[in-house]
Amino acid sequence: MSALLTTSVGSFPKPDYLMRARTKAAKGELTAEGLRDLEEKSTGEWIRYQEHIGIDIPVDGEQYRGDMATYFAENIEGTEISGLVRSYGNRYYKKPIIVDELRLRGPISVDWFKFAQARTKKPVKGMITGPYTMMDWSFDEFYGSREEACLAFAKLLHQEALALEAAGAKIVQVDEPALSTRFDELPLLVQAVGEVTKGLEAKTILHTCYGNYNEIFEYFNKLPVDQLDLEMSNSGLDLLERFKREPLRKEIAFGVVDVHSHVIEPESLIRERIEKALTIFEPSKLYIDPDCGLKTRTVEEAQAKLANMVAAARAVREARHLT
Amino acid sequence: MVRTTVVGSYPRVGDTHEEQSLRRAIARVDKGDADAASLRDAEREVMKAALREQNDAGIDLVTDGQIGWYDSQSHIARSFGGIETNGLVRYFDTNTYYRQPVVQGAVAWKAPILVDDWKFATANSKAPVKAVLTGPLTLASLALDKHYGKKKALTLDLATALGEEVGALVRAGASHVQIDEPALTRYPKDLSLAVEGLERVRARKGNTPLTLFTYFGDVARIYEDVVHAPADLIGFDLVQGAATWTSIAKQGSKKPLVLGVIDARNTKQEAPADVAKKVLSLKDSVDLKSSYLSPSNGLEFLPRDRAREKLRILAATAKKIGVGG
Repeated sequence: MSALLTTSVGSFPKPDYLMRARTKAAKGELTAEGLRDLEEKSTGEWIRYQEHIGIDIPVDGEQYRGDMATYFAENIEGTEISGLVRSYGNRYYKKPIIVDELRLRGPISVDWFKFAQARTKKPVKGMITGPYTMMDWSFDEFYGSREEACLAFAKLLHQEALALEAAGAKIVQVDEPALSTRFDELPLLVQAVGEVTKGLEAKTILHTCYGNYNEIFEYFNKLPVDQLDLEMSNSGLDLLERFKREPLRKEIAFGVVDVHSHVIEPESLIRERIEKALTIFEPSKLYIDPDCGLKTRTVEEAQAKLANMVAAARAVREARHLT
Repeated sequence: MVRTTVVGSYPRVGDTHEEQSLRRAIARVDKGDADAASLRDAEREVMKAALREQNDAGIDLVTDGQIGWYDSQSHIARSFGGIETNGLVRYFDTNTYYRQPVVQGAVAWKAPILVDDWKFATANSKAPVKAVLTGPLTLASLALDKHYGKKKALTLDLATALGEEVGALVRAGASHVQIDEPALTRYPKDLSLAVEGLERVRARKGNTPLTLFTYFGDVARIYEDVVHAPADLIGFDLVQGAATWTSIAKQGSKKPLVLGVIDARNTKQEAPADVAKKVLSLKDSVDLKSSYLSPSNGLEFLPRDRAREKLRILAATAKKIGVGG
């Protein structure tokens, strides 16, 4: 029986050489091929790093993505990309603008999945930006209805999920950071994610973060996935009591390091968090990961956080004689 | 004729190199390559640009764009005694985040927070500059309270502190003050508390016109009481809060209104003639001459070029009404 398997949510920081290359490419001073070479280089480096520290379920690190929504939108017909919009502090992102009926040009993330999977024997997660988040983070100049836009994305992303599975993905994660945006739309989210995951044989995961989990708690068991991936260290450790009263009938990936803090959580603190999680969840159903994608940290910070996380999970496994 | 105003925030960066000066300045400070004074200078340059863009569009009553605000909650709250700031929390149903104020002790106003920026903006604008403050109910609703234990006590102390700030703004010469209470669209039952808080603010404003603005939804269920709130003008989001249109049409308003008719959360461009027609349908319910048109909420949720476009649409809509009204 596997226990306390370690994984990551999705994104890792881009090394300086890739950041510089992206700036050059944006100015037209570097070809798409030139940029792709460097994206492959850093993806390879991240796979090797995850192998090196012994992460059980690696990710490709999303070195080729600017933003999780715009990356998918850029590969979907019927969209344009907006100018910069502020998220918080000094962080800005570009948003998709739906200007026409959405149509899939072809597989979006499958090439990168294959690239990463070819470099490790461990199962790499296939990663999809979820339909509700795609809708919520887009400006809509075409559909005029949030429901219609969301379900249009869901239809296309189901094709993407099938393509990932056909390419060998044993695990498909649907990222829905916007899940907790509007509580009255949770039924729409459940419907749309269900459209994406229907008929998949791969293990399915839903990742979300920055939500008022208490408000959405009753929906956790309704989400049409096998595993929930939740940010727990930043705000959710308080939720454990509620999980005790209302058990989760799914696996859980439990975020144990804060991705928005420069502070490197020591192994001992992460062990404590894992031990707390073990008071509620069975070790075989408990996965250990950071709260969210680590892309906002430096490469060094992200690596240190991951290394401590893996060491902590290993230490708990050993102390409890879990295999 | 109807006048135009904005709600508060304005995009602080755009897509040209020049329009990203503030982003670079913050990055330099973060790296330790520049000091806080240089950041202040960069903010002021962007504030001037935001004012210029509003002036160029012909907006009658502008704001400083809240360029120096980290976010709508922590900027004011962190300057009050008794409050610290914590991690990031999603701001209503937007994909933006605020540093959550944590109330650790009794809230108290210490020194002017917005006055310097208001003075600077006024010196750099052709149109009068409205001072905008986040309301006590919204601040209390979005903060983490570790001291009071009761929302009412926290709201009222915040209102007293905000009243001090309004007093300082009025003494500095502010000719328009706005209190934002988006929380009313989420917690309509808290209206009486919002009103009680607003009374404390009103007590400090002298003769300066005070606007109460609600956004991110409708207030249809409490419309009648909202228009009677202790403010001189009442502002409504009539896009996400489209349900409030019907209330205005049916029940009217004796007070001038700020009609938030231009969608500040979507890039889709409105046709000024269509919006003008809709606004004119209210002419028997509302005195349009003393009212304003505005975007539905702050413009910072749009890219800079689209925000500029929305200002143009807003002014063009008012012009159409001027001709037809």
